[in-house]
Amino acid sequence: MNAEVHHSIAQFLYREAYLLDYRRYLEWLELLADDIVYRMPVRVTTVNEPGSTNIVNDMAYVEETKSGLTIRAQRLFTKSAWAENPAPRQRHFVSNIRVEAGPRENEYVVRSYFLFKRSRSSEPGTEELFGEREDILRQVDGQWRIARRTVYPDQAVLSVMNLSMFL
Amino acid sequence: MTLTQKDIQQLKEKMAEGYLPQWVLTDPDIFRLEQEKIFARTWHFLGHESELKEPGSYVTRWIVNDPVLLVRTQTGQIKAFLNSCSHRGVRLCTEDFGNKRAFTCPYHGWTYDLDGNLIGIVAGNKVFGQNVNKEAWGLRPIPRLASYQGMIFANLDPNAMSLEEYLGDMKWYLDIILGRSDGGMEVRGVPHRWIAKGNWKMTSENFAADPYHVQMTHRSTVEMGITPKDPLYASYGHQVVLGNGHGINVITTESGQSPNPFQGTPEAMWPMFERNLSPAQLQVFRNATVLVGGVYPNLSFISSVNGSEEYKYNHVNFRVWRPLGPDRMEIWVWFMIDRAFPESYKEKSYQAFLRTFGASGTLEQDDTENWARIVEASGGIMARDKSLSYNNVLNYLMGFGNLEPDANFPGPGVAYPTTYTDAVARSMHEFWLDLMTRE
Repeated sequence: MNAEVHHSIAQFLYREAYLLDYRRYLEWLELLADDIVYRMPVRVTTVNEPGSTNIVNDMAYVEETKSGLTIRAQRLFTKSAWAENPAPRQRHFVSNIRVEAGPRENEYVVRSYFLFKRSRSSEPGTEELFGEREDILRQVDGQWRIARRTVYPDQAVLSVMNLSMFL
Repeated sequence: MTLTQKDIQQLKEKMAEGYLPQWVLTDPDIFRLEQEKIFARTWHFLGHESELKEPGSYVTRWIVNDPVLLVRTQTGQIKAFLNSCSHRGVRLCTEDFGNKRAFTCPYHGWTYDLDGNLIGIVAGNKVFGQNVNKEAWGLRPIPRLASYQGMIFANLDPNAMSLEEYLGDMKWYLDIILGRSDGGMEVRGVPHRWIAKGNWKMTSENFAADPYHVQMTHRSTVEMGITPKDPLYASYGHQVVLGNGHGINVITTESGQSPNPFQGTPEAMWPMFERNLSPAQLQVFRNATVLVGGVYPNLSFISSVNGSEEYKYNHVNFRVWRPLGPDRMEIWVWFMIDRAFPESYKEKSYQAFLRTFGASGTLEQDDTENWARIVEASGGIMARDKSLSYNNVLNYLMGFGNLEPDANFPGPGVAYPTTYTDAVARSMHEFWLDLMTRE
């Protein structure tokens, strides 16, 4: 993959993380293609077998369209979305970005590792989630749009008290 | 540790006045006693028969801290064992699910078949003698195992009453959800699992006994225009005390009728419901907007309706609050759907579930915050003072002495003509004390 495309995609993902961390969810929604499929399937522990997977696609923690994500984001701006009011402080760390050609000419398959950390209230402990994301990024009029996002958490039992965040 | 006579006297007196001393939420000795007196003696939900599709299918589960291996044997029977090798106690199987003919311990290689028989000892009689008695060293069975409508329960107490007797009048209501369709229900995929702060008594109470929280905890849905502004909207209907700590809320609307008969299930399914349910069950089901309840101690369920303006979809989930301490729990949520429903409806029901319940559910997110705040504020000197000198009692006075049961309600149990009452919560805590003080 040429360095220019890789750099451009990395900068896009960092900007996305910034918008999420600062709860600029409405601007974040603008980064999503109208036909986005956003999923977070469930990780499980299974025996090692050739070709087997420890992801259960039949059950997800989140499975959303753009309109569903919009409703979720709008809800977080109500006065009584208690999970985020007061808002926890959050950081999305994105690394290990790999870019490959995508299913269409203007699309790329982008895999990245994520580490999400959150600090709630005056709790000294922090919550975290980590794993890998598999995105399809689409170039539309010189802008990147997320056309598909699959979030693979590494934990079979999540150690966050809820999934109010976007990953 | 046991409760002292003084503790018991105080708890009885306060409960009789409609209070619950706050110290019982986070006291570590109470939690140890709950494991012995409650979780080791009541029926505990392990999973659904549809999770064990064929011979050799297994899932691993927990009864608080006891690891359980739940299997379907070669002859199709369901069995449950302590998931621990009889030799040195190693957790035999660490996978969540799978299919096997036998389980081999990774420590020394002892091997067990699906019936729990010890079928292989490495170097067997060479090291253990000629008369090694394999029969004596099989996997240790969970003392009691029983199913109701596909729901598998276990009990560590060999002398416990039968599951059906324990469920009692709750069966009538479970049948409305689990028995309405030919072929029953099935679990989709695997359960959601995550760890949250909270005390299991409070989360169980939230489902079985507390539609009152809906107007405030879930007020964001009112702000969004999804639910009515009327603060009583979740109160219409009945709260039903069912005995043995079980309870259910049959929520409807102010008119007593649901705008979505039979919870928005496909109309083509209604004749099937009429075949499978009694007229009284049909009446309850037809008019309910939400059925939300709990099987004591820590199985909760909700059958609700969500969707767009035009189309509403019924969705059902069952959940176990597995206590990890007095202030922490692992939440397990199973999404379930009628096998007989059209595939397209099953998918819509799943989407409606994911938007509202489970780890990311827009309703459940805000519940987790409030459950956390209860235990965060219940661990200090004032909340934990056993002499109650700081007035550290919680208020269960809603409907206490000012609400009579409705004799015309068609279902069994003691039904109160509103769900905004603490009747079920009081019965849960009284049953808690009863169990905690049994020999």
